[in-house]
Amino acid sequence: MNCETCQLKELVVEPLEIQDVLRCILHTIVFHRALGLVRPRDVECEHFDITYVQCGDQQLEKKIEEKIDQFIGWVEKHPNRKSRVCLSFFEEKNKHASWFGNKTERRYWEQWYINLHVGNPKSHGKSHSSKAPFNTKENLSEESSSRHAALESSLREVMFQIIRFANEKKDHIPAVQNSDTISFPYEISIPSSSDSSFGWHADVLKRMLQTGHPSMLG
Amino acid sequence: MASPSEADRTEQIITHFFHKTLHAVLTSRIPQLHPAPRTSLAASRKPDRWFHLALPDLPAPIAHHGAVMDPLVVDILLTPRQDAADSGAREVVIERWTAHCVLPPPYTAAAHYPHDGSIQRRTYRKFIILLRSLYALLRLLPAHRIFRLLCSSSQPYNYDLTYRASSFAAPFSRAEEADLKQYSFTAVETLFGQLVVSVQYRPNLAGFNLEVSSPMPPMIITDYVGSPAADPIRPFPCSLPDWASRPTTFQYPPRSRTSAGTPQLDRPHSWNSAPMAHHPLSAHDRVELGSSPPGPYGRMPSERKGSFNFDEFRLSPPFSTSTSPSPPAHGGHSLKSRLQTETSPVSIPIIATGKNQMHRSPNLSDPFKSLLPPPSPRSTRADLSCQESPSKSRSFRKSEGLSLGDIYSNLHMYAAYRGLKDGRDDSGRFSALSSGGSPRYAFSRSSSRLSMPDDLEDEDFSYPFAVDDVDTSDSQTRSPDVKEAEYSSSHKSQEAAVGILVQMLKNAAPLRQDQSCSSQSSDVNGEVSMSSSFLSRKTSDALEELQSYKEMKNLLLSKSGTKLQESLNQKKSSKE
Repeated sequence: MNCETCQLKELVVEPLEIQDVLRCILHTIVFHRALGLVRPRDVECEHFDITYVQCGDQQLEKKIEEKIDQFIGWVEKHPNRKSRVCLSFFEEKNKHASWFGNKTERRYWEQWYINLHVGNPKSHGKSHSSKAPFNTKENLSEESSSRHAALESSLREVMFQIIRFANEKKDHIPAVQNSDTISFPYEISIPSSSDSSFGWHADVLKRMLQTGHPSMLG
Repeated sequence: MASPSEADRTEQIITHFFHKTLHAVLTSRIPQLHPAPRTSLAASRKPDRWFHLALPDLPAPIAHHGAVMDPLVVDILLTPRQDAADSGAREVVIERWTAHCVLPPPYTAAAHYPHDGSIQRRTYRKFIILLRSLYALLRLLPAHRIFRLLCSSSQPYNYDLTYRASSFAAPFSRAEEADLKQYSFTAVETLFGQLVVSVQYRPNLAGFNLEVSSPMPPMIITDYVGSPAADPIRPFPCSLPDWASRPTTFQYPPRSRTSAGTPQLDRPHSWNSAPMAHHPLSAHDRVELGSSPPGPYGRMPSERKGSFNFDEFRLSPPFSTSTSPSPPAHGGHSLKSRLQTETSPVSIPIIATGKNQMHRSPNLSDPFKSLLPPPSPRSTRADLSCQESPSKSRSFRKSEGLSLGDIYSNLHMYAAYRGLKDGRDDSGRFSALSSGGSPRYAFSRSSSRLSMPDDLEDEDFSYPFAVDDVDTSDSQTRSPDVKEAEYSSSHKSQEAAVGILVQMLKNAAPLRQDQSCSSQSSDVNGEVSMSSSFLSRKTSDALEELQSYKEMKNLLLSKSGTKLQESLNQKKSSKE
């Protein structure tokens, strides 16, 4: 089976908005792919007038929060950069026994790429000086609110995008192997802290090695 | 060609899907159907596991009554309230959810589908995902903002969200279509064709000027408790005046102009047996189609033919034993009409009756509070007693809450109680715990003020009140007074009876103390005479007893002396 990939629309966010945006998107994606019994829970975004749905699985919430914290830590070290968070669903298959023991192979069947451009709030803060003319301050607040409104609209578009993709692509979803709420194993990848520029590339390479992608073998 | 069992299963899946769709839409759009937070009782109920989406229970069963091939059309309406309607606002459809099966072309009939049950499994899994998407989309559309606003606000708004569910809806006009956007989910293939779910919605609801409704004008209540105009025994009017029927909250739809009959009688009142039966916050039966489904892994495996994998086992629909769904308990249309015609809670005017004269009207400044049943007279009385200062006479405080009948029973108890001779407890309150043959009363000091009003109407409770001072000495003289009060107060108002009782209690003499402690008597002369006679009686008794003891002693001595003499004689005779 092939791996369906969805590239979500890029969002320009500020550091304070990262948590809200990532929670909204990640939980919405998982809600569509958690085929176990779900008791949906409505959650309202802190910074946006958007309500999304959580599965009510505590482990999932904990894992998402951990990854978001890690991503925020990465952003603090690499400000004003484009970055990508990847949510992947896979299935594990046992490979033949080797010298090093039984190896399990991960076969990714769906990947969601959340593209973010985290702006630097300091660039706005510099102009907030007492000596700045009043007009500039007003313009800045208007600009900030319009930016915020644009981000909210974009986030809604991303949510629509998730709903559309999750509904259109259903045939590739593998068989359910357990009765858990989160039916399929998943992985949330953030840019690597070692190499900021090519961090996500390294993750992709690593994944390809694990799955034994034909392009790597050939 | 599909087997009858496959067709039945498909029909059941589609029917449940319609039901779940309706459930999801209504709980996300209609404030009065918005479920309450899960209580322990609700959490213990078995959730509806269909499509692995456990939704909160609906206050009342709602179901789609159409056939499988009939579409489900749910209109969400923004309905103006009375004041908004007066200004010319009309009811507008802001969303229309449609779910229907599209028959496949003849050449793609079910004959081409495999008959191993895989189509049902695929269908069921796709319905799971479709419902997830529908649930998420419900929260993204603009109407959800209004729904959240109406649910979270304690103030009533000039608009309400209502709904219409049917198998058919009049198509929109061109002008209306121009204002609507459409979103269609990917169709799901079933044995009966492709099931399509779509929504037409208004992208912009800013044109509806949602604002808080104007509050009710202040009213002057003339027949307040204690007023001369108050009649203690006056039946509660069945039909409320027009001003009282004005809606005060947002959670109930306004009184429908199309309703027939007497809507006031349909409203839940505090005197109904189940006043909160229609309350959205009360838990009611879940919506169920047919028998409750077994676990998600119920009987499917045994009904399957051939082999099946784990996926089949896990994503199996929880089919019930009956192949065809049984009709729900309540008709959707009847419920719909009931919900649309259900009137808002009103402010109940204060009307003094025998029992609820202390009842206050709901707090108009807090309409949400008025959604709750009005406070019971007993709890209101308890509240009043709590708030009063401790320095007030406890007997008077208790008598405030007494009804006429209770006063009669109290007086009877009082008459019976007068014969008792037990002393007071430390608090000055009478406690008679062990008197044989008398009613057993137990009254604690702290709880009596609060529990007594509740106990007044408790049939099993025998001692309705406790008094501070009870006169037990001149019981004979007080009996006719009590009886007079008893018979004369039957024709007086409750306040007069209370006043009489208070007067009696105030005039009651203190309890007679222990006979050895006579210094606390109020009548000095009586006390002296009592003490002197008491002393003389005691002395004479003592002398008599002494005399008797002497006689007994002499007798004993005489007997012992005789016996001694006899024993001595015996000894002598034996020696000789």
